[in-house]
Amino acid sequence: MAESLRMAKPTEVEIGEQKAPVIAPGHTFASITDKIASIVLRRPITNGWLFGFAICFLILQWFLLAVCWLFYKGVGVWGVNIPVGWGFAIVNFVWWIGIGHAGTLISAILLLLRQSWRNSINRFAEAMTLFAVACAGMFPLLHLGRPWLFYWLFPYPNTMTYWPQFRSPLVWDVFAVSTYLTISLVFWFIGLIPDLASMRDQTTNKALKFVYGSLAMGWRNSVRHWHRYETAYLLLAGLATPLVLSVHTVVSFDFSIGIVPGWHTTIFPPYFVAGAIYSGFAMVLVLAIPIRRFYDIKDFITDRHLENAAMVMLATGWIVAYGYAIEAFVNWYGGDPYETFLRWNRLHGPYALSYYLLLLTNIVVPQILWVKRIRTNSIWLFFVSLDVLVGMWLERFIIVVVSLTRDFVPSSFGQYYPTWNDWSILAGTLGFFAACMFLFLRLLPAVSISELKTLIPQAEVTVKHEEEVHS
Amino acid sequence: MTAVRTNTIEFRVPEAVNTISQRSLGIGLLFGVASLIFALVPATREQFFHSYLIGFMLWLGVALGSMAFVMIQHLTGGKWAMVIRRQLEAAMNTLPLMAVLFIPILAAGIPYLYNGNHEAVGGFSGWLHPDPADKHLVEMSKSYLTVSGYTGRAVIYFAIWLGLAFILSRWSGEQDHPPVRNLSPRFRLIAAPGIILYAFTISFAVIDWVMSIDPHWYSTIFGFIFIVGECLSAMCMMVIIERILSRYEPMASLLKPKEVHDHGKLMLTFVLLWAYFGFSQLLIIWAGNLPMEIRFFTRRLYSGWQVIALGLVIFHFAIPFLFLLSRPFKQNSRSLVRLAAWLLFMRFIDLFWYIEPNFHKALTFHWGYLLDLVVPIAIGGLWLALFFRNLRSRPLLPVYDLHAQEFLEYVGAAHD
Repeated sequence: MAESLRMAKPTEVEIGEQKAPVIAPGHTFASITDKIASIVLRRPITNGWLFGFAICFLILQWFLLAVCWLFYKGVGVWGVNIPVGWGFAIVNFVWWIGIGHAGTLISAILLLLRQSWRNSINRFAEAMTLFAVACAGMFPLLHLGRPWLFYWLFPYPNTMTYWPQFRSPLVWDVFAVSTYLTISLVFWFIGLIPDLASMRDQTTNKALKFVYGSLAMGWRNSVRHWHRYETAYLLLAGLATPLVLSVHTVVSFDFSIGIVPGWHTTIFPPYFVAGAIYSGFAMVLVLAIPIRRFYDIKDFITDRHLENAAMVMLATGWIVAYGYAIEAFVNWYGGDPYETFLRWNRLHGPYALSYYLLLLTNIVVPQILWVKRIRTNSIWLFFVSLDVLVGMWLERFIIVVVSLTRDFVPSSFGQYYPTWNDWSILAGTLGFFAACMFLFLRLLPAVSISELKTLIPQAEVTVKHEEEVHS
Repeated sequence: MTAVRTNTIEFRVPEAVNTISQRSLGIGLLFGVASLIFALVPATREQFFHSYLIGFMLWLGVALGSMAFVMIQHLTGGKWAMVIRRQLEAAMNTLPLMAVLFIPILAAGIPYLYNGNHEAVGGFSGWLHPDPADKHLVEMSKSYLTVSGYTGRAVIYFAIWLGLAFILSRWSGEQDHPPVRNLSPRFRLIAAPGIILYAFTISFAVIDWVMSIDPHWYSTIFGFIFIVGECLSAMCMMVIIERILSRYEPMASLLKPKEVHDHGKLMLTFVLLWAYFGFSQLLIIWAGNLPMEIRFFTRRLYSGWQVIALGLVIFHFAIPFLFLLSRPFKQNSRSLVRLAAWLLFMRFIDLFWYIEPNFHKALTFHWGYLLDLVVPIAIGGLWLALFFRNLRSRPLLPVYDLHAQEFLEYVGAAHD
């Protein structure tokens, strides 16, 4: 007690630890607008951009050829056959949907958590979400065999008096993914409106003025506009937040509702969500690192952003590792013979190499993110992120293929070999995704101008300011 | 950093806490003696241990959930955590008591908990005396689910928890003395691996202590369900304590509606996560309908137990969820505290629903369920007495923490 009664001596205050800022010092409202808008409006198209876009566009053309061949011949051109009815299509679908999740997490959950550092990465992360969901959505449609009848998936009154099978998680997917796409699109567009108005005001080209002006829907920066905008934005963030969990939860039900060994386990929902965010942040880094380098916006996407993203990856990576560990342990603890065989099959079966690669890429390698020097080094981070993207793809490959090729009856065991068409379509969606990102960078502000402005000291609202406003 | 307030006397815990502490101890001892009688009478000893496990898991949850929040706060920072940090640490420092309270289970409880059940109650064989025809269980009862394994693992879990709590608490104590320092980097070194250790150890602990009562049943999400339950219990307890303290200085001027709002949001988050994990477990097991898994729900959704299950859906999820959606509700500690107390009670009901159906096939009136209330109150009384004693031993803010100074600056600015 005497200790606490003692009056403290005057003390020296130690300065807080040195953290990179979320925005480099010295920026003003004008310099932010100018710097971001100029990327779209004034910067000439470089050879680098043309070269990158051309490659992606070529891959996209290859993708279209592969899809034409698929439509012409049918899904037999894929490697799917009994026992593997779901091959690359579902693996790639889950992978792409997962990547999209980081965008929603950044834009919605981090907004609600008042994490202001998100302001400089949310715009392109949301764009990434949209393109990733578009890539993901293609796979179930291509897998339908008769994709032009996709609308049969929706429950609508029809002459066949047929309804979708509501007990099938694949139908839940239709609702989950289409809701997700809609909300993400609206959220992204609403967030863009003030920036589109800035672009309208910045450009001297009449046609562009008209396009940006139309899209800005008459935004005049009035207080009322801002008030409505902030309300809508917050509401959409609230709506999008459950989607971060629900979409991948429903995707995990695609597997876990069934009783196939390796699919039927209760940890799947949270473990899928964590894996989704894990790969999503990896993709954010894979995009952010070159973008900030080539467009010289290290002032806005600082080392702090990279480090925070790396820490999110480390955390979600551990949830994924927890999932692997607890699944393996309970599998042994439960003693189900099919599950026991699955464990053996993963470690020693024909796909054992991919399982070891999975453990290496998804669990072992990312542990170097514990080192701060690596978290703040963009080259290291770029490669760790690529490694995680590969790892998360392998995870879905193992879940789908290892379980299906050898499930219950040895006489129905088989092997799965992806064909050139499978690989072409996977590569093609990567080309599509990258081509969309290239266009996005040149057509829209890749960093949110209006939200970035709230990060500079001039924008800080102090208690005194608030009192002035109220009085 | 103009006004540095480091006068620890300003942040002393109010004297009124002593009274609550003494009353808690009184209640704890009174109910404890009553429980002890039931423990000593051979006819009621079995029921005593069922009730004891419920009470133990409930209060261990508050302590471990608090430790998880201490570590989360060192990793993420935030004013919501600074204002309750010393409360969380006091709750975390009840872990030695929980370790002592685990001894009766180790010493005498195992045969009453893990022996399986006779046919009259829709029985199954426990791992202590497995049915010889059940090859897997016989094997498990020799390798993993053994008394020495159970004991050894419990020692490891408690060693890890006590070690983490000791280090976190000791370093926090350094922040009661000059100079004002930022120890966050040092705390993060222990908090980041600490969170991972906590998640793994508690998951394996609940497999041993709760899931293995019915050794045939398994669910991989079980650990997560207990983790969110523990975090919810801890946050509810913190809301109750901050409400009591806020009637006196210094908490009266430290606690702002914004931070109460944050605590309410965390309650909402964990209520939602609890429902999400519970529903996922139900849907996946129900749709799979495999004999070894569905037995969990066929026991708990029939023969009267469905009333408790439905009650959990309505009173542990639906109604709290609706209340917690309201912003004014979450900002007002007076309204929030009632829900927090209610949810803490629902945490007890949840554990009751997890543990008791193992021993009673149908839910009919049984005197033992009264003991299910008495023993948790006994443990709770002792827990609270130690909690308040811990709380009194340190100022209510670690004032020599740089972040505490930032917090005081913020509180002062909001106050002026």
